[in-house]
Amino acid sequence: MSDIMENPKGGCVLAGINSVLGALDRVCPVYHSGPGCCMQTTAADQGQSGHKNSCFVASVSIPSSNMLEKEVVFGGTDKLRTTIQGAIDIIDADAYFVLTGCTAGIIGDDIVSVTNEFSSKGIPVYPIDTPGFAGDSTLGYEIVWNNFIDQVIEEGVEKDDKLVNIFGIIPYHDTFWSGTLEEIDRVLSKLGLKVNTFFTKHQGIETIKKCSAAALNIIINPWLFKGPSEKFEQKFGVPSLRIPGLFVGATDTTVFVRKVAEALGLDKALVDKVIAEEEDYVYNYLAQAIGVVSWKRFAVVADANNAVGFTRYLANDYSFTPVLVIVSEPIFRPQDKERIIERINDLEYATPPKVLFLTDQYEINKAIREEKEEITLLVGSSNEREIALEKDIQFITGAFPVNERLIFNRTYAGYKGSLTFTEDIYDNL
Amino acid sequence: MASVQYSGVRESKPGRLNDLGTTGKQVEENYKKGCLKRADRSFAQGLQCQQINSMAALMSLEDSVFISHSPQGCVGCSIMAVDMYRVGQAHRGIKNIKNPRLIVTNLDQKSVVFGGETKLREAVKRAVERYNPKLAFIYASCASGIIGDDIDAISASLQSEYPDTLIVPIHCEGFKSKICASGFDAAFISINKYILKKQKVEKEKGLVNLFAPTTVSYADQKEMERMLSLLGVKVNYIPFYSSLEKIKKIPAAEASTSICKVFADEFMHTLWEDYQIPYSHTVMPIGIRNTDKWYRGIAKVLGKEEEVEKIIEKEHERIEPLVKKLRERLQGTRVFICGGTGRSFAAAALIDDFGMELVGLETPTYDDDAQVDIEYLNGIHKDFVVDIANMQPFEQVNLVNKLRPDAFIGVPEWAAKLGIPTTHVLDGKRPTMGYDGLLFLGNKIAAQLQNPGFNKKLAAHVKLPYKDSWYKEDAFKYITEGGN
Repeated sequence: MSDIMENPKGGCVLAGINSVLGALDRVCPVYHSGPGCCMQTTAADQGQSGHKNSCFVASVSIPSSNMLEKEVVFGGTDKLRTTIQGAIDIIDADAYFVLTGCTAGIIGDDIVSVTNEFSSKGIPVYPIDTPGFAGDSTLGYEIVWNNFIDQVIEEGVEKDDKLVNIFGIIPYHDTFWSGTLEEIDRVLSKLGLKVNTFFTKHQGIETIKKCSAAALNIIINPWLFKGPSEKFEQKFGVPSLRIPGLFVGATDTTVFVRKVAEALGLDKALVDKVIAEEEDYVYNYLAQAIGVVSWKRFAVVADANNAVGFTRYLANDYSFTPVLVIVSEPIFRPQDKERIIERINDLEYATPPKVLFLTDQYEINKAIREEKEEITLLVGSSNEREIALEKDIQFITGAFPVNERLIFNRTYAGYKGSLTFTEDIYDNL
Repeated sequence: MASVQYSGVRESKPGRLNDLGTTGKQVEENYKKGCLKRADRSFAQGLQCQQINSMAALMSLEDSVFISHSPQGCVGCSIMAVDMYRVGQAHRGIKNIKNPRLIVTNLDQKSVVFGGETKLREAVKRAVERYNPKLAFIYASCASGIIGDDIDAISASLQSEYPDTLIVPIHCEGFKSKICASGFDAAFISINKYILKKQKVEKEKGLVNLFAPTTVSYADQKEMERMLSLLGVKVNYIPFYSSLEKIKKIPAAEASTSICKVFADEFMHTLWEDYQIPYSHTVMPIGIRNTDKWYRGIAKVLGKEEEVEKIIEKEHERIEPLVKKLRERLQGTRVFICGGTGRSFAAAALIDDFGMELVGLETPTYDDDAQVDIEYLNGIHKDFVVDIANMQPFEQVNLVNKLRPDAFIGVPEWAAKLGIPTTHVLDGKRPTMGYDGLLFLGNKIAAQLQNPGFNKKLAAHVKLPYKDSWYKEDAFKYITEGGN
């Protein structure tokens, strides 16, 4: 079920799948789709994620069967077969994933039979048979992991009690994914853990295959990855810890560290030492600029994960006043909505803000336009700049889609990211 | 004999080819002899679909809502037009920068089974309730086309429901064409059918339609308008940053011309057939030769051949000394060019202004127009490789790696990773066109080629995804006979 949407944030399920595959090292998607799907789906997520895209194959570099009228009428499996063969011949990848566009999905081409012809010869070609119209980018993230669990991740891998898997942060669909994963990796590594971020450090298909060795799956997201985490636990016996929202700043990051430490039974002295160091690092900077950033009444428009993180940091750690929070990705399950609201409303001192779930740009703009309480800072995506200009509100782009700045390893998450966030909300007005 | 209605699919024109690996000399000869056959690739990389172009062409129109009757992924590339629209507003001094009103019907599994009519009706209803727009464009997609949604019939019914909004369906289903420029034609066919409707309007003296795609910067718009104003012409700049009123003025013009070779070329012909508006279809005004040619083309249609020669003489006096300096810096540089139909040939002519040498050319289609350009290029350059391809980076890197040019003009992403100095003639935010644009462009090219440190260091650290064996293969090994 997909809603009619004005200025949607992100793409179809294929866009989400492509984002994940594109962020893995040396993995090649092969599209069995119409002629524009490679470019469209790359532009939908990667192209709006601070202007960086997969260095390996993205957009018009992705092998594609480019289904035209002939394939629509007569089927396109012959074209797919030669496309896969060509991809194997010329692209130096560790794995190939065949994806289906709407065209292949509607006419019902059997891609599994075609991929079997290759995989039966020992060539790593995997089918992901989910056509574009099945859903949006976030579903794409779950679809890929479901397929990894079914087809790629190995059983019987020797357990490693220091290994953790990180889930819940979608490459590209979260603009700061790269920096966020690096910050999580940095902090957890200090605790003596080995971290599978999957999308940094040139991790690729080998890391995926062996990730069943992990002691814990850490899901950093208030709602995403429910199905795959259950499936993962069932098949490989790896339990999950859900951190219900991204952590920005010392308070929430410390809570995150303690929860992970508790789940894994880590040495308390080491954990305390790491937390003390990190908090000291943050407050050493914050203490050098007291009263420099003027007090704000703020609104946030972002995906659930970032909305939780931004709101809690600004309200709990920076003593700003929350007014309105709009979760701008589709959330379907009522219990997920409740969890998100609970995280946004459970503030230390501040009065809880109004929380809305809106994905349609007209409705988002309308809610901000008609908000009776004054708003002096808006953290949103490039799409919200218009309403910020209209209402003359200070605006910073902190959420997907971002297309007015270049973003490499910047993040607002964790201990260090909160300093970057604070730098960015500075105004000299 | 009445002419056959053009379908909007560029492949439908006889003699137009998409897939071919050849050389300048060979292709000229074989085309002349009629020996070129339509081909295909047994392996290919992704293309740009025509829906992307249909949307990009119109997305800066005022008082309009753009409805994509598709799943959510099909509006991915609209971000490029959205970005151009936002930046274009900033360049035009607009303070409160707006988003274009883009609504996706978000066809899903249910729509695939039961049809998407309800969603389309609801999307149009919302568009009208929210914005009461003068225009609502409805874009078809692969999905809407294959499931058989009749967007013409639905639009007609919606039109009677919402008489104050002109509802314009556009047939830009991706699977219909390999050539993305077909999407421009699809958009113009619908503009003619649903807005202009062959109605005669009062002529406006001195008015000229200047058709421009979204990739033309505001600086370029101003330069084109400056040049045309020197001929005493008033410009109707269409459809970028225009409006329903300006579209309705199209038939009032005395003449038409276009900034891009594959933008509105078919439409200008239709305007001649339906409204007897003469037009000039020449080249993209990049470089001295092409700018002169473009300028003379429109001047001839307006009967201002003498005036234009005087202006050209003056412009040359102004810029030739500067071009001479650039020539001294660039003379003899071996160049590989990749670009869309208009830009690739324009770049090829441009490098001649600077005394550079063409070693390879990658362009999406070959046809009568291309033959004219190739004949000209064969007259200047030694034999060069020609790849008729819509991007296909795997072929490009194979060729560039073998030819090892001194410079690459086009999308820099892949040649840069080979360590080749790169530059581009496409910049939708800065000048590239006309006499003024040439200097900016020339300086940029000379400076970028003189300082290739970034690409050289990049190539030392980053590898393209292709196997080493691929670079030894024939770049055209996947081109097969018998295409769609």
